[in-house]
Amino acid sequence: MFEVPFMRLALGASAAASVALGVVGVYLIIRRVVFLGLVLANAATVGAAVGQIFGWPPEIVGIVTTVAAGLALGAIPAPRRISAESIMGWAYATAAATTVLILAGAARADADTLHFLYGNVLAVRPSHAAGLALLALAVLAVHGLFAQRFLLVTFDAEGAHVGGVNARGWSLLLNLWIGVTTAAAVHELGVLLTFSLLTLAPTTSLLVTRSLRSTFFVSAAIGVMAVFLGLVGSWYLDLPPGPSSVVPLSVAVVVAGVLGNRFSRRAKPASPK
Amino acid sequence: MGLGYHHRALAEDLTFQVRRREILGIVGPNGCGKTTLLRTLLGILKPVRGTVERDPSLAASYVPQHENIDTILPITALEVVLLGHMARESAFRRLGAADRRVALEALRRVGADTLGPQLFRDLSGGQQRRVLLARALAAEPDLLVLDEPTAGMDVAGEAAIIDFLRDLNQAQGMTILIVTHLLSLVLNFATSILLMTASGTIVHGPIEDVLREDRLSELYGVPIRLGRVGGQRMLAVDRQGAGDV
Repeated sequence: MFEVPFMRLALGASAAASVALGVVGVYLIIRRVVFLGLVLANAATVGAAVGQIFGWPPEIVGIVTTVAAGLALGAIPAPRRISAESIMGWAYATAAATTVLILAGAARADADTLHFLYGNVLAVRPSHAAGLALLALAVLAVHGLFAQRFLLVTFDAEGAHVGGVNARGWSLLLNLWIGVTTAAAVHELGVLLTFSLLTLAPTTSLLVTRSLRSTFFVSAAIGVMAVFLGLVGSWYLDLPPGPSSVVPLSVAVVVAGVLGNRFSRRAKPASPK
Repeated sequence: MGLGYHHRALAEDLTFQVRRREILGIVGPNGCGKTTLLRTLLGILKPVRGTVERDPSLAASYVPQHENIDTILPITALEVVLLGHMARESAFRRLGAADRRVALEALRRVGADTLGPQLFRDLSGGQQRRVLLARALAAEPDLLVLDEPTAGMDVAGEAAIIDFLRDLNQAQGMTILIVTHLLSLVLNFATSILLMTASGTIVHGPIEDVLREDRLSELYGVPIRLGRVGGQRMLAVDRQGAGDV
């Protein structure tokens, strides 16, 4: 199966994207902004649709709209009467509807457009696969350099602010980083698989791990395993690769939930007062 | 200054000064805006009017209410303290053995040295408070700001924390701001009191001047008696209206 060049490319591209999304996704989950992943993925499709209409490079416009969405949502002050997730829900619905409306009014919405918008990892080009590999390396480098700051503003943003850290700036940078990663992945993997790798792989990891380092590692590893299984399933069962990869991710969350509960009951130490 | 949220003032015309080496207790009934005042003083919230001026050389650390801390993160108590210590360092600086020693020493100082390897989220409320205090100390502040620092602690834990804070103030000259709804906590600890009322006014000054039976009774709506037992100030609600303290 992997003797075929396009399958090798698909595996390489999706594995690289899984590593990148698995790492940034952990931040998404621990910041309790799961919806942000869906918003960013859809913001990328809005940008791609706009790019298609005006003849601009869809990948670039997609990254611009995603980064803009990430920064805008990070800058909105926490509302008092509704949860932050409600604003994310609004942004998701708006972005998804805008994409459909733009495409409905576009004469140029053909199969290529749909590929840009919703991705097809089996049709990934070598240059795009190389781009995703670079993206994964960049994500790992940023994580290695700034994980302490990202964790600090996630754990206690107010304490960080008082301690002299520009908590707002670091939060925006984190959103920007998640946005760029998401936008780059959406064009090859599609919204569904990108969102699943951003959220289900880290969720699984957080359920079974008990240290920061292992959480990031296991999240990336689960993503890689899921896309491998998805491509195998897609090849032998003649199924679309995106949803085929989501199935093992979805099962992994359930299994981790069961195992994680048992593990934490055993591992939790007695806590003296 | 005036303080509040979204341009809505909770309190107007607040003017006071906190001096170095002072222990200021910010007290008042529930919902009067104590935490809002603290967050405004720390620059987390902007005053709706006026300004907060702070000596730029002053390094502050904040111990928030532990309910405001994220517990999804699989982070150990030692890592929590290290985060506080590293906040003052460059974002590019890597953790070293010396940083770990500082963090372990901070945990030891608050009597939480055995908690280092445990996950923060698995700790009890009182233990989490100690770890957050250690995190604040690891940043080596001049000004320590604590929001309900003894919530979730038993009497012994509460007394130990108060003694520890008093020692920090006396031995190191650390300025301490402490918000609490427990008047009894600051009666024998604070050097001055800022009493907030539900109507948004404040009374600021030495304990003897601020905490008067008539003022407290009116503020809390119950007869409150103040007295001394064994040289310590005591406070009690007089349920009969004229009982001894």
